[in-house]
Amino acid sequence: MAQDPPAPPCLTVRVHAGETHVTLTGSWLRTHALPTWPENLGAGVIHLDAQGVTDFDTVLPAWIQGWERSLTQPSRLTLTGLNARATAWLELRSEETVDSNAVDRLPFLEQLGQWASLSNRSWGRALAHLGECALGAGRLLLGRGKANWSEFPQLLRTAGPDALPIVLLLGFLTGVIMAYVALIQLGKVGADAYVANLVGLAMTREMGALMTGIIACGRTATAYASHLGSMNVTQETDALRAIGLRPVEYLAIPRMLAVMIVLPLLTVFASAAGILGGMTVAVGAGLAVEQYMTQVIEAVSISSFLSGIIKAYAFAMVAAWAGCYRGAVARPTARGVGEAATTSAVLGITLIVIADALFAVLFNLFEI
Amino acid sequence: MTTEAKVRCENLAVGHEGRAIMSGITFAVEAGQLAAVVGPSGCGKSTLMRALVGLTEPLAGTAWLLGRALHELTESEREGLLRRAGFLFQGSALWSSLTVRENVELPLREFGQCGPRECRLIAEHKLAQVGLLGAADKLPSELSGGMAKRAGLARALALDPEVLFLDEPSAGLDPVTAARLDDLILRLRDVLGTAVVLVSHEVASIRRLADFCVYLDPDTHRMGPVGRIDDILASSGHAGARDFFATHLRI
Repeated sequence: MAQDPPAPPCLTVRVHAGETHVTLTGSWLRTHALPTWPENLGAGVIHLDAQGVTDFDTVLPAWIQGWERSLTQPSRLTLTGLNARATAWLELRSEETVDSNAVDRLPFLEQLGQWASLSNRSWGRALAHLGECALGAGRLLLGRGKANWSEFPQLLRTAGPDALPIVLLLGFLTGVIMAYVALIQLGKVGADAYVANLVGLAMTREMGALMTGIIACGRTATAYASHLGSMNVTQETDALRAIGLRPVEYLAIPRMLAVMIVLPLLTVFASAAGILGGMTVAVGAGLAVEQYMTQVIEAVSISSFLSGIIKAYAFAMVAAWAGCYRGAVARPTARGVGEAATTSAVLGITLIVIADALFAVLFNLFEI
Repeated sequence: MTTEAKVRCENLAVGHEGRAIMSGITFAVEAGQLAAVVGPSGCGKSTLMRALVGLTEPLAGTAWLLGRALHELTESEREGLLRRAGFLFQGSALWSSLTVRENVELPLREFGQCGPRECRLIAEHKLAQVGLLGAADKLPSELSGGMAKRAGLARALALDPEVLFLDEPSAGLDPVTAARLDDLILRLRDVLGTAVVLVSHEVASIRRLADFCVYLDPDTHRMGPVGRIDDILASSGHAGARDFFATHLRI
């Protein structure tokens, strides 16, 4: 014979001689929906009889305690019929203690004000970090600073050779996309052959450095922000300061230098891959390989090539600095590290695009 | 060894990368008992605790949790078993993006099979037990070390565990806060009848709390004497254990 399911928790309220009697029955388990607390009982004694409870778990003392807390009128709750276990459960509570070093959360408006003030201050912090980087680089050049050069080869490898496959792939595809777009437009005026000029010039002067800079932000800057942010969590940065080392000098400068060494090289690879991608499309459209290469060499002047390399140096500095800066100011929590990684990518890409626009204006001004 | 033991291990060896740091560990903890695993830093206390719940594979021997041999369980069976145990990690391990209340509610929501109102009520009940109801809406970053430990304990209690594992519960706390936490652990054991396995090197605290302690000897890499600290000090022939306890109590 199948066993009957346990009766759900139930309560009945009876008012007698100005006193309220509440009787609990059924099975008070957390898997059941609990009845709502009786309302409008008025002040006075409330007799709670739990003799009819067939089974219970932690939810019964939780329900009774919750009801006690919800009583707005001064009432006295007396309990009967609870076994020793439930009574002990009910009485097991500790004195409320909030330690003096716990932090109170600010009201919304104050939070807004603090956010505005901190946002304003964050520009100051960014400039201060930039200044520290410049000073650190100077001290290192003069031989007065200390940096962690032991990890420099690893920094070079992770920022450079490890990034090469993605740089080549994205460079190649950028060249393919540009060649297709160029073919659509140039084909209309019978100038298909100039696809080579357009792809060659755009890749060496603009897209090679820009794509590589963006990859550095998404890949290297976020890694730096996470690493340095995690060091805040584990107080490793404090430990460096405690022994008299400057974290910016010790950690940030080698990272920035590593990216500045490898990014121009990656830019050359990205440009070459882009030109190759464009050639694949152009050859498919009927252009000879020799003709394509001749036009690329004709279109890409030394100054165009160098302007791409100059940009690559600048973008490398921006990307690495964004990662190191956001990591340095990351809050020492798991969420803080995540935020540092995200904001480093956003900051880096934004600054790179702004820098690129400035370069465009400057190069136009000086006719480079 | 009785079959009622909530936690049991026999000839357990634990270590890292195949290298044993402690072996020959045999003891059992029954409902309502509090056992302390004691030893100097680096002797393998936390590794042993991880092995007792199957988070680390032991190098030899067998561990039983709630009557089931861990090595015989599938991954899902082990997960089901772990829901009947509670853990307080050394660093509290509160989820930083959730409030204290949400931290306690999460296991209830995921595994408690109860509705939102019931989850909330139980979470508040647990927070009242550890004296943190007033801090229910704070984020972990807004808590002091002692409060974070108590919040971690409330979360460990969320699903009414039959056994509690506490890793260095009073480490890093001032003596008053540590004593308060000790009292709370004792009351939980007495009222709820929970079996407690505690890892610590706070000898004074263990002397008050533990029904028995298991000394891990770093010199021989084997389990030392098992018993109450006073008994070990009075009668054990194990010089290492006697020195360890006597030195700590003197300090």
